[in-house]
Amino acid sequence: MENSSKEDYKIQSFDLETQKLLKTALKDPGSVDLEKVSSVIVDQSLKDQIFSREAGRICHTIVQAEAKQSNGNVFRRNLLNRLQLEFKAREETRKRSTQEWVCLVSFICNIFDYLKVNNMPMVALVPPVYDCLFRLAQSDSLKNEEEVDCLVLQLHRIGDQLEKMNTPLMDELFNLLRDGFLLQEDLSSMGRLLLLEILEFRAGGWTLSDTAQKYYYSEVTD
Amino acid sequence: MLTYTAGRWRGLIQTRLLFVCVCGVSLSLEEMSEQQSYSYENDCKSDENRNKGASRWSQCRKRGADGSLRKAEEDQRCSRRPESFTTPESDGPVSRVKNWGDAVEAEEMRSDVRRDMHRYRRRILAVDVPQRDRKLSSGSSDSRDSQNSKDSTAKGDIETDEAVLVRRQKQINYGKNTLAYDRYIKEVPKLMREQGVHPKTPNKFKKYSRRSWDQQIKLWRVKLHAWDPPAGDLQQIEEIDLGEIMDFELDVECSADPESQCPSANAAALSLAEDSFRGTPKKMMKMEDAEMS
Repeated sequence: MENSSKEDYKIQSFDLETQKLLKTALKDPGSVDLEKVSSVIVDQSLKDQIFSREAGRICHTIVQAEAKQSNGNVFRRNLLNRLQLEFKAREETRKRSTQEWVCLVSFICNIFDYLKVNNMPMVALVPPVYDCLFRLAQSDSLKNEEEVDCLVLQLHRIGDQLEKMNTPLMDELFNLLRDGFLLQEDLSSMGRLLLLEILEFRAGGWTLSDTAQKYYYSEVTD
Repeated sequence: MLTYTAGRWRGLIQTRLLFVCVCGVSLSLEEMSEQQSYSYENDCKSDENRNKGASRWSQCRKRGADGSLRKAEEDQRCSRRPESFTTPESDGPVSRVKNWGDAVEAEEMRSDVRRDMHRYRRRILAVDVPQRDRKLSSGSSDSRDSQNSKDSTAKGDIETDEAVLVRRQKQINYGKNTLAYDRYIKEVPKLMREQGVHPKTPNKFKKYSRRSWDQQIKLWRVKLHAWDPPAGDLQQIEEIDLGEIMDFELDVECSADPESQCPSANAAALSLAEDSFRGTPKKMMKMEDAEMS
């Protein structure tokens, strides 16, 4: 049990003391400094790409545990406010380190995916998430395979939810992606492939047809 | 083919411009779309929508004043991007919700209230018939009868204004977020609670005047103070929220301590609190009925 939950939340990359803190936060959130927990998680997310893609899960569990224990939301509040600060500084972050920027986007999107308010996505996060994706769809980002990869991954994961929350913005974003696919001159063939796939993915109602699935993935496995 | 490509290029420029605008320069958006409106009808439609959205958004920041406005904002939230979140750096409109934590909390509150309302509607539908039967058979207490008839009249006429409901829910939450409330629900099981004797959370879905509602909340909070922790733990009480109800809160804090000779000007609140201590509900009931009718 202990091991499996550790596996699930991918907290092995933390130092031992922090792992202990996180485990306590999961079990008994009232007994730890939840502000510290939230900042530990955000810090790690910005460094660790693997973690940033799954950090929403541990956050979700802590939010649930805290709500159940004391009907509180200290953790969520601190997490979101810290995230907002990082979001505000996104342009500087991007200039400083593409990797950190990509981690930030993964993390925000993952939080959007996992944390729900009465089973509905958080409306407050819709605009910032779109902002990040629009940024990744700009021509200077499309040149960078790492950013294209991130963009496409996020759309695979939360594209349909985002579209339901705001269809016109998704239309706008996909116009950018079509333009990028068609007109971006220094787009690598891998980048082009990723864009083509996501265009098909949305066109198919956020799923790939069997033939498309084969086309995009069988070569890789064969 | 040539026209198509040219069209795409224009589209590209257009969307880029749009994006720039979205990123903050919302003022220049209007100028740009005006300049370009002669050439691309389709694209301009979205521009118009966006402009409309922006102005509607700024109106809607006066939330809470009036129900229809709030609804308009609701729709807009789903389809339009509230600029305030995306352009914290710009001089554009700034929402009164300052951070994501608060925003999500407010969101949660609205969604809770909506969910409660569905439940309440379902419940009054289901309860309607059996309750009438009970009313015929029991007839033991006058107040219960009047309560019932009130229920049936209120049925078609419940409070649906989300702003009002959220405000009321906040007041209720303040009351429930007290040590006294925790002690009360632990010490007195739901079935043992008697009308008029024990505090009963006001029903936020009934139509009441603002004054009546505030008074009900006040009386409820006064009654709850009977379950305040003993004097030794009084510091803890200070943790409870003194926000909106500060003045009366202070009165009662004095009265809750039997030792203190509090020269409170507000003798009414004092005696009310003492009444509830000794379990003499008569005065409370009178007050309540007067308020409710």
